[in-house]
Amino acid sequence: MKWGGLVGAALLTLTLAVVLGPTRIPLGELAGSEIVRDLRVPRALLGFLVGGSLAVSGAGLQALVRNPLADPFLLGLSGGAGLGAVGAIALRLPGPWALPIAAFAGALAAMALVYRLALVSGAALDPRVLLLAGVVVGSFAAAITTAIVSLSEAEQLRNAFLWLWGGLSGASWTTVGVLAVYLPLPLLLLLGSARSLDLMALGDEPAGYLGADVTRVRRRVYLAASLLTAAAVAVSGVIGFVGLIIPHAGRMGWGHRHRTLLPVSFLGGGVLLVLADTLARTAVAPRELPVGIVTALIGVPVFALLLRRWVRA
Amino acid sequence: MGRSSLRRWTAALLILGACAPRHRHPRLVRAPSVTDDAGRTVTLAAPAQRVVSLAPSSTELLFAVGAGRQVVGRTTWCRYPPAALSVPVVGDGLEPNIESVAAVHPDLVVLYRSPSNGAALTQLEQLGIPAVVLRQDRLEDVARDARLLGTLTGHPAVGDSVAQTLDVVTAGRPPVAHVHIAYVVWDSPPIVIGAGSFLDQLGTLAGAQNVFHDLRPASAPVSLESLASRNPDVIAVVDDSSAAATPSFAQRPEWKAVPAVRAGRILHLPGDLFGRPSPRAAQAIAAFARLLNTAK
Repeated sequence: MKWGGLVGAALLTLTLAVVLGPTRIPLGELAGSEIVRDLRVPRALLGFLVGGSLAVSGAGLQALVRNPLADPFLLGLSGGAGLGAVGAIALRLPGPWALPIAAFAGALAAMALVYRLALVSGAALDPRVLLLAGVVVGSFAAAITTAIVSLSEAEQLRNAFLWLWGGLSGASWTTVGVLAVYLPLPLLLLLGSARSLDLMALGDEPAGYLGADVTRVRRRVYLAASLLTAAAVAVSGVIGFVGLIIPHAGRMGWGHRHRTLLPVSFLGGGVLLVLADTLARTAVAPRELPVGIVTALIGVPVFALLLRRWVRA
Repeated sequence: MGRSSLRRWTAALLILGACAPRHRHPRLVRAPSVTDDAGRTVTLAAPAQRVVSLAPSSTELLFAVGAGRQVVGRTTWCRYPPAALSVPVVGDGLEPNIESVAAVHPDLVVLYRSPSNGAALTQLEQLGIPAVVLRQDRLEDVARDARLLGTLTGHPAVGDSVAQTLDVVTAGRPPVAHVHIAYVVWDSPPIVIGAGSFLDQLGTLAGAQNVFHDLRPASAPVSLESLASRNPDVIAVVDDSSAAATPSFAQRPEWKAVPAVRAGRILHLPGDLFGRPSPRAAQAIAAFARLLNTAK
């Protein structure tokens, strides 16, 4: 029943995202409209994939660092992506894909650096050291970014910050296709670690006794969650709240078992981001709001309601 | 745009050129006093002789009102007129470096009105250096600020004639718009020029109707879908470089949903003339009209 509701909500929001837009297109002409085919449909699909990836990444990281505040951007990836994007703009890298590729490379570089730093605590990636490494690398990347911005021509780089606030305006069938090929691997890696993640909630030692290879699971979860986030940030910038709120909401409704929580988070994250993006496109049309603002405006009140119901129950 | 209106702009240019030297008054104007664009009253003991300009638009305007020789400091981005290049650079103007500004002993500092310049203004006041805050977004602003800078630098008559020329330009009846245009200033997210910008004004006076004229701010992020459905005849981009390369966004698949992008109808406005509101509005409009005619 609950599953039916979630799948129904996913289909409904995707339909709304295709039907609604700043341009009024009669229902009968939807199928033949170029705007629907080339802009709305890929944007809805991209929003769903990105929202889902961020929520799954958040769920994995929250279990990994055992901290309910963890979100996909906690571990320095947004700083790395921002540095990549600002660097690409400052160096005027040519080509239509320079910005997303540079952001992706920056996120991956930050991921590798955090990983290497966290290894000083031993192969098992101590969550506390991982958190510290993430914050430190993120701040370092942000400092270099600010240095570049203050040393180069102002106007274009102000726009780089706008890009970082997040948005799905870069959606096309190409980006949807690239993500559809890329995402299954990290998603399946996380899903395959679901049982170990459940065990790790008991603590490292008990998890070890019960058959979880803590060292390997930590590495795998960290890499998979980071790969999801890096792809999301490359195509849509830093979109907040989805990765923080959706996993918690999922636990309230579906419990703590990751075999259920991860798919629920994917669907929930997709629903929230597509809904938020539909509002961002239509609320002040023809202008557009940064979608991260809308995810917060929708996500936080819904989350507050859920929290109240959950605490009472 | 017809040939007669082209002639009108050429005439306006000639008036501007002819007025400038003739009306220069070398005599000192006593204690010039103005109200600047932030509503502050700026009073100087005597016309400023050592002026630091912290915005490209005000540097150009200072040279236009005949105060070029009094400019002793500029930003890295103040590159017009060419004579400005020989003025020492005091910073990049983003967060003014007050120390290097004070080091050239200015008796007037010209700031662009922006939140980040607020702290600089306070510091200058504490150092006892007079500062004037200008907000040049539209052509009317340029006219008003030409008078203001003319007064403060002891060239009120030149400032006045620059302003009058601009007044003639802005008051002129715009030609019937024959091109629908969208000005794209950034692509991810798409940001376009609205009615609050001088570019919208220049375009209107050159015969181009901005399809986002209903947006009141100077610029705003819009959805690509709106850009596609409003279907401008041409997309205008302001280029810093002289090489008019196709902007890289034009190669992205989602931008192909905009018919003008798909057809490659992209108008390159050189940043030197179109990057900021300037006293060369008449020249800019004439150049714009020429570009529109060749684009068709």
